Amino acid sequence: MTTTVAPKSTAPTRILQMTLLPVILIIVWQLWAMLLASDPRTPVPTRIVTTFVDLVANGGLVGALVQSLTRVVSGFAIAFVFGATLGLLMGSYPRLRNLLDPIIETFRPLAPMAILPIVLLWFGTGTPAATAIVTYAAFFPLLLNTVHGVSRVDRKLVLAASTMGVSKPVILARVVLPAALPSVMLGARLAMGIAWTAIIAAELGVGAKSGGGTSGGIGQMMFVFYSYSIDLNAIVVCMIVVGVVALAIDRIFRFAERRLMPWRQ
Amino acid sequence: MTKQTSTPKVRLRNVSKQFVAARTGQLTTAVTDVNLDIQTGEFICVVGPSGCGKSTVMNLIAGLDTATSGSIEANSAPIQGPGADRGVMFQDYALMPWMSFHDNIGFGLNYGTPGKGLSREQREQRIRHFIELVGLEGSEKKYPHQLSGGMRQRVALARLLANEPDILLMDEPLGALDAQTRLILQVELLRIWGETSPLDARKTALFITHDIDEAVFLGDRVVVMSTHPGRVKAVISIDLPRPRTEHVRAEPRFGELVEQIWKLIRDEAYRAIDGKAAATEKAAA
Repeated sequence: MTTTVAPKSTAPTRILQMTLLPVILIIVWQLWAMLLASDPRTPVPTRIVTTFVDLVANGGLVGALVQSLTRVVSGFAIAFVFGATLGLLMGSYPRLRNLLDPIIETFRPLAPMAILPIVLLWFGTGTPAATAIVTYAAFFPLLLNTVHGVSRVDRKLVLAASTMGVSKPVILARVVLPAALPSVMLGARLAMGIAWTAIIAAELGVGAKSGGGTSGGIGQMMFVFYSYSIDLNAIVVCMIVVGVVALAIDRIFRFAERRLMPWRQ
Repeated sequence: MTKQTSTPKVRLRNVSKQFVAARTGQLTTAVTDVNLDIQTGEFICVVGPSGCGKSTVMNLIAGLDTATSGSIEANSAPIQGPGADRGVMFQDYALMPWMSFHDNIGFGLNYGTPGKGLSREQREQRIRHFIELVGLEGSEKKYPHQLSGGMRQRVALARLLANEPDILLMDEPLGALDAQTRLILQVELLRIWGETSPLDARKTALFITHDIDEAVFLGDRVVVMSTHPGRVKAVISIDLPRPRTEHVRAEPRFGELVEQIWKLIRDEAYRAIDGKAAATEKAAA
């Protein structure tokens, strides 16, 4: 095996390298839309920018975004409490794990959208329904990664603690939990990514039933633009915002991982 | 050195340990019929070829494992599980990767029984004392993965000592150190154990090593074990004066004792090598 030493790029060069392709694509897109596209509804970069400014100015976009994020955060929080707690128990007690595994493995492959009909029947079309779907989506990665982390804790560390007269509950809090933390954090990051995907799908699926506007979140906002005004520029604005928010969430979690686990490089 | 004046600190009577091998499902005997009395303040070294059950004996005394038959007592009471009275230093250190050296050394003090009744300042003081003792000043904020095996071993030693256990159980504690550091820490270990103190102020130590020279240098007695099945082959009293310094290695008696122990395990050690060589030849043919 040979190792090649990549030349180290400075920060400005790196930013240039990373922005080059998107900039070229946008220019090509703009030219294509201006010169070749015949359909007036074709989204164009310049019009996307003006639509974005309009949507921010009238408060619609920010309101919808806050609505969606609130649902994601609350759904994620509920999933975290249940997923991490159950994961800790299942990781510690193999019997409980054997008992619950078949049920979990049955529901796990079920896409969050597949439970939408039931959720709509139970919770209606508002925030509780959307939050329930997020909770469902975020629950599995959290649970499974926590189980994995807890069941793989180095037994030597637990034994070492027991030879220092440390009680079982304290071992759980001071040895098992920190040892499993990297897995839990990984699960949290995956869960948050899936939660954000699920909320957009859920709000799209709920449709314009609850009347549209900002109360429906960014997913429903997209649905309204699609079904009422066929405003493709606005839909593309929403798509880009959703993508950027997803990226930001991922970065926040990576940052938190570094801060919470300084012993890992 | 081993006056039978009081009841022993640790007593093993006809101790055997069998287990079912996970891979083959066969019943394997780790150790059989071990009898050993360790007196208060005594430094016992255990040597023997790999697979002789050295670590098993230690785990049984530590309460991390239970014997299949026989009895094990510490302070005249049967051992029921691990306890802070019997401190263990593991072969692979078993340090908490998420804790700084400082916090690792203070683990037992902060979360276990050794810190009971001590104020925060007292615990902190003791941690500082042991950081200095093992020469880790300046590195106490580092995490285990950031430093060498030798450094981690010192942290494990400091953690063991900071808990001030009655009985020290050490599984090849100096194995990962370079030769020079090892010699220095051997002398240091004897000082901490209480070599210069009267007999009743010394700690009781069980020290597993594969290094005969080290065993003779440290021990009051050396337990020689053999394999198939693991058992005690001989117990050799080390009649070298204390306190011991590096000079003791130059004494003729030191060489005689090393020679005597080597003779006891030499045949088995050679057989192990021959066995490996024969197997290699067979595979090559």
